[in-house]
Amino acid sequence: MITNNLLKLTLLYCIVFFSGALSAQVKGLIQVRAVQGDDTLSFQEGGIGLYRHDAKSDELILSQGIIDFNVDLASSWSAHGVLNINQDPDVALGLTQAYIKYQPLSNSNYKWHVRVGGFYPLMSLENPDIGWTSPYNYTNSAINSWIGEELRTVGVEVTVKRPAKRFNSAHGFSVIGATFKGNDPAGTLLAWRGFALHDRQTTFNEGVRFAPIAALNESQLRWQANQVLPFEEVDGRFGYYVGMHWDYLKQSQFRIYYYDNNGDPTKLNISSGQYAWDTRFTSAAWLYKLNKKTRLIAQVLSGKTEMGYNALIDNTYYSHYLMMSHKEGKHRVSLRYDYFKVTDNDTTVFDPNGSHGEGLTATWRYQLSEKLQVGVEGATLKSVVENRAEIGFKQSISQQQVMLNMQWKL
Amino acid sequence: MIKYLIFIISMVLSWQAAAIQITIKNTKDEPMANAVVWLTAKNTSEVIIAPDAPYAMSQKNREFTPRILVVPQNAKVEFPNADSIMHHVYSFSKAKTFELKLYKEQPKAPLVFEQTGVVELGCNIHDWMLGYIVVVDSTIFAITDITGKVDLAAPLGEYTLNVWHSGFGDISNVESETVIVNSAPLTYKIKQTITEQIDFATDEFDDY
Repeated sequence: MITNNLLKLTLLYCIVFFSGALSAQVKGLIQVRAVQGDDTLSFQEGGIGLYRHDAKSDELILSQGIIDFNVDLASSWSAHGVLNINQDPDVALGLTQAYIKYQPLSNSNYKWHVRVGGFYPLMSLENPDIGWTSPYNYTNSAINSWIGEELRTVGVEVTVKRPAKRFNSAHGFSVIGATFKGNDPAGTLLAWRGFALHDRQTTFNEGVRFAPIAALNESQLRWQANQVLPFEEVDGRFGYYVGMHWDYLKQSQFRIYYYDNNGDPTKLNISSGQYAWDTRFTSAAWLYKLNKKTRLIAQVLSGKTEMGYNALIDNTYYSHYLMMSHKEGKHRVSLRYDYFKVTDNDTTVFDPNGSHGEGLTATWRYQLSEKLQVGVEGATLKSVVENRAEIGFKQSISQQQVMLNMQWKL
Repeated sequence: MIKYLIFIISMVLSWQAAAIQITIKNTKDEPMANAVVWLTAKNTSEVIIAPDAPYAMSQKNREFTPRILVVPQNAKVEFPNADSIMHHVYSFSKAKTFELKLYKEQPKAPLVFEQTGVVELGCNIHDWMLGYIVVVDSTIFAITDITGKVDLAAPLGEYTLNVWHSGFGDISNVESETVIVNSAPLTYKIKQTITEQIDFATDEFDDY
């Protein structure tokens, strides 16, 4: 672990050192947070709480430590990486994205590019800021909390664009296709914890804990670890996704994706305690600028996941959010409503996976200077998770969280 | 002797510069803004000497600023990037083909535009960025204001009036006609219909 971190520090040092020599842009974000957390222990600590923080985090914590680098390798080639340092649940340094981009200059009005490596599919319109953070709320929507913790593409993605301006048209389109390895355990958290609301992105080498649910004591699930290693390759099969972006004058931006990790539900990695889950979903996101200051962002995600022989686990899941964000001078106010639900369709009685809930998140950010920003966020959620009963908790809980944030952009 | 006198007189006359106002109108007779207008003297072998100081085509808030830059042949143009993100500026135009990766902190040396013509600029990262450098064989040029007017100063004489607009169907096609410059204002009516430029409401989160 220590050598691993040392290696990464060396890598980081090399990047910063060589960025002067090569043409590169290195951006950083440090965000410090004081939280008035909820009494319910966070899932990160093995609890049933759906927020990132809990009463134990009533101290100053480093909530985001990000170095985002972009190195020019040649005219059409560049290398991108995002390095994250986190102190919760344990101090850890890791990459959330690392890829090479090939974007050739072309005389054609159509443009195309390829990404190879580890990256996010660009499904979300909530997370356009440095290192996939949100410039709106601090706590991500249920959908993007899940994408940030369990979804990552390690593969190849091709984008073909018809940029509106090049055709002097109001409409711009992109078509995206990708194939990838890994990401087989995606869906685990939805089954055993349900959706959550947080801004803790999982780095490539990390696992995410969840409460020690009773079903994992049953012999059929005895190999499952009490954490998910979401980006692991379990079944040796390729997954894929396809997507389309449609912009109207950049005032309206719409993105639709279909994702299928093509997991083989019968495969299991006993040594890491990870199953392959056959996880598929459709995500549709829409951003609409009512005017220069006010925008609406919405996203809907609906899908299905299956694990084990004979549909041992067979769940459908659904979530949507609606956010309104208004910027007035140095102020930005964002208000979001989330709804999330997991439906258990299998006959495995010992493992109830049903859950549902809703949340409200209100954020005010104030730009002190070009690099310095402060902000306050209040959030509340209500959730019902069936498997809480077997481990001695109430199925239905409500949680509240207030936080003060200060962030520097470097 | 007479030839000599005529030469002297014509020299003196040519030094008499006139302030001339030219109005550009579209096919519907409405004044046309953002048209590039330049005068090239007829019957002269005058060599265009571009100023030593470079012109600038900046990138600010993910747009080219100015959107249209007119420069005399052989002018130097620099490409300062005022944004904190990289721009990858390129042109495939015949008059100048180039690419530049531009960072705020690392300005690149100016480019020399030796050939006349329209250079269309794009950014490989921000595909909505579109700009033009119009390289002309003249030092008498301007861009029309909102009322479709330019004010030029030119020695009296016979000229070719050239007009270009980014809304032309073929952007390498320049419209021109012969004019006599004295102090009388001129009006030129564009012969083709103009494609309206579409404006985009972009902001700092749109390149995601």
